[in-house]
Amino acid sequence: MPINYYIFLAVILFCIGVVGVLTRRNAIIIFMCIELMLNAVNLLLVAFSKAHHAVAAINAGPAGTTAGTDGQMFVFFIMVVAAAEVSVGLAIIVMMYRNTHSVDVNFLNRLKH
Amino acid sequence: MDVLLLQAVKSVATADVNSSINYLPIVLQLLVAIGIVVLMMTGTHLLGPKRKTEDKLKNFESGIDAVGNARQPMAIKYFLVAILFVLFDVEVIFFYPYAVNFRALGWEGFLAVLGFVGFFLVGFIYIIKKGALSWED
Amino acid sequence: MNVTQILFWLLSALTVFSALVVITRKNPVYSVLWLIITFISISGHYILLNAQFLAVVNVIVYAGAIMVLFLFVIMLMNLNADAEPQKNKWLQFAGVIAGGCLALVIIAALKNVDAKARIAETGSDIGLIENLGKVLFTQYVLPFEISSVLFLSAMVGAVVIGKKN
Repeated sequence: MPINYYIFLAVILFCIGVVGVLTRRNAIIIFMCIELMLNAVNLLLVAFSKAHHAVAAINAGPAGTTAGTDGQMFVFFIMVVAAAEVSVGLAIIVMMYRNTHSVDVNFLNRLKH
Repeated sequence: MDVLLLQAVKSVATADVNSSINYLPIVLQLLVAIGIVVLMMTGTHLLGPKRKTEDKLKNFESGIDAVGNARQPMAIKYFLVAILFVLFDVEVIFFYPYAVNFRALGWEGFLAVLGFVGFFLVGFIYIIKKGALSWED
Repeated sequence: MNVTQILFWLLSALTVFSALVVITRKNPVYSVLWLIITFISISGHYILLNAQFLAVVNVIVYAGAIMVLFLFVIMLMNLNADAEPQKNKWLQFAGVIAGGCLALVIIAALKNVDAKARIAETGSDIGLIENLGKVLFTQYVLPFEISSVLFLSAMVGAVVIGKKN
């Protein structure tokens, strides 16, 4: 697989997430679309890590090179941080629902006043 | 023939861990799991007799007339437990790489993990003190 | 077309299709279930890219824990009556156009990228849990410890926000 295909796949996934954020009003669905965008970026990072490793393996021989491990570590930490982010974010959405009895993001306009 | 017996071909398994043939058992397992569900659902749908009387179509609630909607909002206590589950689930994820490299990392790795668990323990003590996990109010 | 390419196209089609279903369903429960399928197919991509540990973490953390949390919240709020107020039709149309334009621009900008390295065909074992663990506990000890502080703050935040009075 040329890496271009992975780039296109990640871009399409990311843009689906963007469209979801722009067209929906349910805060939970918007949050899910943000997770989708995060995953698109993760996929791209893993693909680049793999490409980096493939190039390094050609230059230095297949065995012994650990190039590309960093990219996978980044993805691991992104996933871990996303778990923390989701737990706090969903707690905030639940609090919002308790106060306004709605998850419509247009209600958040009231934060301005 | 080895492939059909769910055993990866030996030469492949030893030479190349990453060959996709090694994932054939997992794929087969997924297919069997999905297949059983589909088979059961379509089987009962096609084979079962259909007598659509009003009493048959009613939800069964131990013989009493159905009361209200089945989908009632849950208590918020469950939600807090679920959030804390996610956080501790991720903590366990960190243990797998450590467990695999347990001997190679030695005391240094042990101290790192000890510090990590220490912070989680502080959080856990906070949760217990706040009573976030206590079931009765 | 070898097996890897066939798997790539199948998984890509499944990923994009289920992601599209996620943003078009009215009922949030269906959106969550399709998002789980999206994540699992992304895990399949990780396996194709020799990131086996990340694939497992993705299934456990995302498809297992986070999506269950989303389902919990949706059941907590009793949203399955699809009472979501719809946005203005024109606003939705504008959103789709904007997202499509973004995708078009990025793809047009990147379509001529010279990619000599054909990936996902050479095997490597950097994604195995043993090698990643070695790197995690030698080079990335500090981020590892800091993430535990982050989790402590997330715990405190969730309890403070979520607990009544």
